[in-house]
Amino acid sequence: MLAALRVLPFLVQLHMRATMEYRGAMILGWIAMAFSYASVYTAIALIVLRFENIGGWVWSEMALLLSFHLLGYSLGAAFSFVQFRQLEDIVRLGTFDTLMVKPISPWAYLAFSGFNIGYAGHITLALPLMTWALTQADVGWNPTLVLYLVGALVSSALITAAIITSIGASALVWVRSRHLYSIYFGFWELARYPLNIFPGIIQAIMVTVMPLAFMSYVPAAVLLDKEVPLLGPAAAPLALAAGPIATILAMLYWRWCIRNYQGAGG
Amino acid sequence: MSEIIVADGVTKRFRQPKRYSGLAGAIKGLISREFTEVRAVEDISFTIRAGEAVGYLGPNGAGKSTMIKMMTGILVPTGGALSVLGRTPHEERMVNAREIGVVFGQRSQLWWDLPVHDSFELHRRIYDVPEARYRENLAHLTRMLGMESYLDRAVRQLSLGQRMRAEMAMALLHDPRILFLDEPTIGLDVVAKDAVRKFLTEVNRERGVTIILTTHDLQDIEEICPRLIMVDDGKLLFDGELKRLRTALGARRRLKLDFATDPGPVSLTSARLVSDEGASKHFLIENEETSLVDVLAELGGGHGLKDVSLEEPDIEEVIRTFYQQRPALVPQ
Repeated sequence: MLAALRVLPFLVQLHMRATMEYRGAMILGWIAMAFSYASVYTAIALIVLRFENIGGWVWSEMALLLSFHLLGYSLGAAFSFVQFRQLEDIVRLGTFDTLMVKPISPWAYLAFSGFNIGYAGHITLALPLMTWALTQADVGWNPTLVLYLVGALVSSALITAAIITSIGASALVWVRSRHLYSIYFGFWELARYPLNIFPGIIQAIMVTVMPLAFMSYVPAAVLLDKEVPLLGPAAAPLALAAGPIATILAMLYWRWCIRNYQGAGG
Repeated sequence: MSEIIVADGVTKRFRQPKRYSGLAGAIKGLISREFTEVRAVEDISFTIRAGEAVGYLGPNGAGKSTMIKMMTGILVPTGGALSVLGRTPHEERMVNAREIGVVFGQRSQLWWDLPVHDSFELHRRIYDVPEARYRENLAHLTRMLGMESYLDRAVRQLSLGQRMRAEMAMALLHDPRILFLDEPTIGLDVVAKDAVRKFLTEVNRERGVTIILTTHDLQDIEEICPRLIMVDDGKLLFDGELKRLRTALGARRRLKLDFATDPGPVSLTSARLVSDEGASKHFLIENEETSLVDVLAELGGGHGLKDVSLEEPDIEEVIRTFYQQRPALVPQ
C-alpha cells in the first residue's frame, strides 16, 4: 500500500515532464481557457449589473458562487476530466488492458498519470475571485464556518471527480461514453446560477441524479445564509456529505464496470 | 515441474446488441433489446507446468487474446475454472500481476514522450523491485537485447523492433514467473523477429521463465515453443508437441516445379498434382518421409526443369488441414 502511494507522485512527475515536451500547445491551451472563462464571467457580470441581481443574488454573491464552481471543478477535474474523457479511446484501442495487468489500481494510475497542471490557471482565477467575494459578502465568520468552507470545497471537488469517473467508467462496459459528458456539462453550466431561478424539475435533478447544486450553489447559499429550495435546513450538512456519498457510489460503479469490462478485439 | 496454470472447461461468451442492416435496421437497433451471444472461448481445458514454453496458436478471432486476457485477470470467464499460480486471476488480479509479465504486441506500455529508462523506473516503483535487483536485471536485459544505445531516447523516436525489445525487457524487470506475450512479433522485420525469438528462447531456458505466447507466425512457435495449443472458433483443436503436429500435417508440403516450356502432363507417385499451369505445376507432398531428392529422382531428367520450390504449410493451411484430419489427431 505504501509502495503504491509512493508511485503516485512519480506518475504526476512523469506526466508533467511528458506535457512539457509540448510547451507551446500547453501555453496556448491556458490562454484559450483564460479567454473562455473571462468572456463567460464578463457576460454574467454584465447581466447582474444591468438587472441588479439574478434570483436575488447580487454581483459579489454571484462571484462567490462562480468562484466556488470554478475552484471545486478544477480541483476535481485535475485528477479526472482529461483522463476519463479519454477512457473511451483507451478502451477502444485496447490500451486499458495494459493497466489491468499492473499491480496498481487502474483508477489511481489513470488519475495521477494524467494529473492536469492546466487547471492551475483556473485556480489562479478562482482564488482571488473567492477572496474578493468573501470580503464583500456579509458572512459571520467563525472557525466552524472556515472549516465548513474548506469541507464544502473538498466535497465540491469530490462530486466533480465522482461524476467524471462514473461517466468515463461507462466506457469500460459500453465502449462509448463521451456523449454523456455533454449532459454533464449542460447541468454544469446551470450550476453557475442560483438554483431558485430554475423550474422545480431542474432543481430536483440538480440535488439528486446530477447533484451539481452541491458543487457551488448550496455551499455558497449556506455561507451567505440564504434559503435553499427543496433542502431547507438540511442544505448545510448535505453539501458536506454529497461529495463523499458521490465518491462511494462512483467507486462501487467503477468496480462493477471493471468486473464487467469486455475489452476490445481479441 | 509443478502445474502453474490450470484451465478446466474455461468458457468466455460476450453478449453484443444485435445489429440490423440498412438505415431502418440502424433505427431498429436503437430500440431493440435483442442480443447476440459470441462464444469467444468454449470449454477449454489444459495445464501448463513451470518452465514450459507454450505457443497458443490460431487464426484471427480464434479466442487467443481472450484466453490470455482471462489468464492475466483482465477478463472474467463466463464458465469453468481457471487457476494461475494457485489463484483465480480476476479475483486476485493485482497480487497475480506481481508474478507475471505481459507484453502486448500492438499496445505499448512505455511512455511515448519520455526516455525508455523513465518507463523502467516507473515499473520498478510499481512492482516495488529492490534497487540492487533492478540494477542487476536492467544490466542483464540491456546486454541481452542490445539496448545500450537507446535507453536515453524518447520512445517515440524508436523503431518498432527497438520498442518491442524495450517492452520485453520491462516485462521481465520484476522477475515474473510467467511471461505472457500477445503477438510479440507482429509487424516486425525479419531481423527484429529473429532477435525477439532468440531472446525469448534464452529467457525460457536460462531463467526458467514460463512462456505463453500467442501468434499467427508458425516460425515463432518453431523457434520458441516445443508445445503447441491450437484453437479455432474458441475451441481447442490440438494440445501437444509441435513435432507431433508436424508429423501429422507436415506431409502436406507444397511443391512447385517450374519448367522452361510446358512438358505436358507430369505424374508422380511421391506427390499429388493439384494445379497445372503449363510450365508451372503445383503438387502436394503428402508423405512426411518423402524428400525433395526423392521427388526429383522420380521426375528424372529431360523435362527442362528450371526451378523448384518446396514450401512448409502456413498456419492458416495447418489449421485448415487439421480440421480435415481432425478425427485422427485427437490428443492422447
